[in-house]
Amino acid sequence: MTDSLAYFLMSWTDLSLLLLTAAGTFAGIYIGAIPGLSVTMAVSILISFTFAWDVNDALALMVGVFCGGVYGGSRTAILLNIPGAPSAVATSFDGYPLAQRGEAGQAIGLSTVMSVIGGLIGVLVLASTAPVLSEFALQFAPRDYFLIAVLGLLLVGSLAAESLSRGIFAAALGAVIGLVGMDPVTAEGRFTLGSMQLLGGIHYVVVMIGLFGVAEAFFQLHQLSVKPVRQNVEKIIPSLNLVLKFLPLSIRTSLIGVIVGALPGTGGDIASLFAYDHAKRSVKHPSRPFGKGAYEGLVAPESANNAAVGGAFVPMLTLGMPGDAVTAVMIGALVIHGLNPGPMLMVTTPHIFWFVVGALVLANLFLLIFGLMGIKLFAKVVELPKAILIPLILVLCVVGSYSLNNSMTEVYWMLGFGIAGYFLKIFGFEMGPIILGVILGPLMDNTYRQAMASVGDSTPALLIELVTNPLSIILTLAIVLLLVSNLPLKRMIRGSENG
Amino acid sequence: MLKQVFATLAISAGTLTALSPALADYPERNIEGIIQWGAGGATDNVARSLTPHVEEALGTSIVLTNRSGGTGVIGMNTVLTKPANGYTVLYGAENPQLYPIMGLADFTYADMTPVNVIGQGLVVIAAPTDKDWEDFGDLLEDAQANPGSLRMGGTGAGGLPNTVLAMINAVDELDVRNVTFGGDGPGITAMLGGHIDFMPLSLAAAQEHIASGRLKGLAVLTKEPIEQLPDVPPITQALPEIESYLPWGPFWAVAVRKETPDDIVTTLADAYEQGVANEQFQQFLTKNGGQSLNLRGEEAKQFLSHWQSVTAWALERAGSAKVSPEEVGIPKP
Amino acid sequence: MSKQTKLQPGERAFNLLLLLFSLGIFYEAYRISGPGFESINSPGAFPIGLGIILMLSMIVIITGQLRKPKPDTQGALDEARQFLSAHFPLPIVVFSAMAIGYLLLLESLGFIISTLLFLFASMVYLRHGRLVSSAVIAGVSIAIIYILFTLLFQVYLP
Repeated sequence: MTDSLAYFLMSWTDLSLLLLTAAGTFAGIYIGAIPGLSVTMAVSILISFTFAWDVNDALALMVGVFCGGVYGGSRTAILLNIPGAPSAVATSFDGYPLAQRGEAGQAIGLSTVMSVIGGLIGVLVLASTAPVLSEFALQFAPRDYFLIAVLGLLLVGSLAAESLSRGIFAAALGAVIGLVGMDPVTAEGRFTLGSMQLLGGIHYVVVMIGLFGVAEAFFQLHQLSVKPVRQNVEKIIPSLNLVLKFLPLSIRTSLIGVIVGALPGTGGDIASLFAYDHAKRSVKHPSRPFGKGAYEGLVAPESANNAAVGGAFVPMLTLGMPGDAVTAVMIGALVIHGLNPGPMLMVTTPHIFWFVVGALVLANLFLLIFGLMGIKLFAKVVELPKAILIPLILVLCVVGSYSLNNSMTEVYWMLGFGIAGYFLKIFGFEMGPIILGVILGPLMDNTYRQAMASVGDSTPALLIELVTNPLSIILTLAIVLLLVSNLPLKRMIRGSENG
Repeated sequence: MLKQVFATLAISAGTLTALSPALADYPERNIEGIIQWGAGGATDNVARSLTPHVEEALGTSIVLTNRSGGTGVIGMNTVLTKPANGYTVLYGAENPQLYPIMGLADFTYADMTPVNVIGQGLVVIAAPTDKDWEDFGDLLEDAQANPGSLRMGGTGAGGLPNTVLAMINAVDELDVRNVTFGGDGPGITAMLGGHIDFMPLSLAAAQEHIASGRLKGLAVLTKEPIEQLPDVPPITQALPEIESYLPWGPFWAVAVRKETPDDIVTTLADAYEQGVANEQFQQFLTKNGGQSLNLRGEEAKQFLSHWQSVTAWALERAGSAKVSPEEVGIPKP
Repeated sequence: MSKQTKLQPGERAFNLLLLLFSLGIFYEAYRISGPGFESINSPGAFPIGLGIILMLSMIVIITGQLRKPKPDTQGALDEARQFLSAHFPLPIVVFSAMAIGYLLLLESLGFIISTLLFLFASMVYLRHGRLVSSAVIAGVSIAIIYILFTLLFQVYLP
């Protein structure tokens, strides 16, 4: 116990570790904020960079970058409507409208505090229940992941505010985009039109940058002469009352985040969308309607995606299995540093666990400090004249999509999606469901095929499993309940009348 | 940090002079290393642990980038479209040798000059500990008593589990449900949860789980027991006929474009030979279930074509090849 | 946008295009599984399902349109003109052209020069002049981007 405490406090008491965690968090915020620069990329660069270092130094830096990076994605989502990372997509739904109302500062302030609360809840769950939670996560069979993906696709109902049929079309379109590339089972091309470049698929960040960044930039060209909203930069730090008011929602969505994050195969991107949907269903009287700048719509995804960080470490530290792409790279880093990440990690090198937990808490505290610093300056970005901002946004989109793979192919795709997105937006199709489809489509396809193959391609056998396995029953029931409560038929008819 | 900044300044300076002939003082700027697989995987780990030692021998930086996708086709294609001046090297795995017969692409390592074949991975067939099987023979018996009901974890066409399955099917019969996962990791996770019954895995991925007692090794794909898992019998014990394919395993190689001038290839091959021989890297390889090969020149080419003909014809015999090896000119072993 | 009771100019044409697109997707999905539909667990199974969903939802959208009043336009030509003037005013057309030109020049001129040109030209155009301040802003932004990406994150820029 005392040993654990000593390891926990190691990054707090050692000056160089403290500084590395701080530097990592600071850098992470800005890496995360730039679309196209991902935490995964930053961490894999850090591997070569920290090759010769002590493993604790390397981990402190990586943990900092991870925490900062997940939070940083919300910056550009709020200020420019370009999510810096897929896990910040849901943040843009209400964050950007807030910035348009002149509340960018408050939005960033609130998202910072909620991210830290979410992050800390994630670490708390990690520290207290990691072994139990990871055993629980192992119980999820391919069919259960399939059910989760179905559950996720039902979010279309809450993401497509205007017309359900358009939402469904958009989600299916997104899924088609997500499926482009090689079939995972037989390795044949799907929707590749014979192109070798497309065999590798379309990177979903490219889709995101194009649909959100470029399409938005084109839209704003309509408002060149409109004077930018003056930002109110008073009271950017949310009052205690406000924080307490949203605390129950933040705790609920953090738990969603940590569980979805702990499942190997789903991460912060899906968690934040689930959280947004949960907020929309459970909060009866939001501060403003959702999608128009509701604080609740900001609190939920921001708590969830940072809580998912703690969740992602659960399978990594207990089983040596990655909880998401970033922890996958970190496992590689541990291997290179001569450790054996696996189920024995907690037995042979227990200090790694407590060290990571300590560094995560520390990184969250730095997040609070760095996140609240400089908000006034950032809020001013929204006040820049559109004629300056729009060309800069385009350049940022180009650099971001280029740096994904160091190739121009992604840049052309990005512009293509931007133009397509502009047309779709004109005619009332929303971007949220498309991204949902891009993220969930491949997951659904993969897990469906796995579930089918596991039962020897027999549909009745699969259906029986869905209603006999306890976990599957719960998920199936959740889907049925959601379907019934949504009454999609009624909405579909109404939607087709005015949509 | 400063070193990084200077190094990058050097790249930009180098780019300006890119038009001048890349002769004389190779390497005079940074080299771009393209990794065929994603960050955190076996190929990535090998590349990232090896590269610092090569940089030392070469006296320049090698900037590593992951270009994953399409079973590595994308990464290899990228290198093939860059100039053949030794400033772009490919860090690849075994997959390119099977592209033509999987119908993925028409190039293989034969279209490049191998700089170094770094090492070969060992393969173990693993199952959850609570299964009744003692060794691979029991599994085979069970599978033949209940054809088409055991669930094997796979990683898709051309992946390691499928190739192992094909080799077994080339000499015996193993009829199973093949459940495809995104890689070793997700497959092991599913196996730990009891959602699949067994999976052929690289030793690197499996050994920690076997050590912890959550998985057990049924057989290793060698003729003799191996040092890392002394209690696991070699597969030849249950299936002697498979011996002609052994030793078999995934490998890692570094290659450049075929048209690269000879003196540049020699410089690179010298540096990689030193890097692979480095003690620290050797320790890394052994610890992660790999056998060092450190082959260059003709030896490397021979290794590559032998591996290709053995594997391709095994796939063909098991009926898993999309295009016959004969059609694409792969000789019989 | 769909709250408007009247159809937008071009909406019918656009939705028809999307329907055609959905048909194309369905055809491509059908082709994946080779001739005929082999099994419920094949590479083409899920894509075919998606193709059907795309077509069905678009048919629902289009039938919904039939009940709505047509836009106030005289003939297809006028509708196209109204669509263009509403959504493609001159600044958007010019800016898009500049953006495409920028991408085309990116590889041949290199990142720094082409970006500098693009930023400068588009800012001068959108701000109707102000050469000096546009040049300064463009220069400073390039410097920041270059330092951030190339020096710190080791990203190769074209």
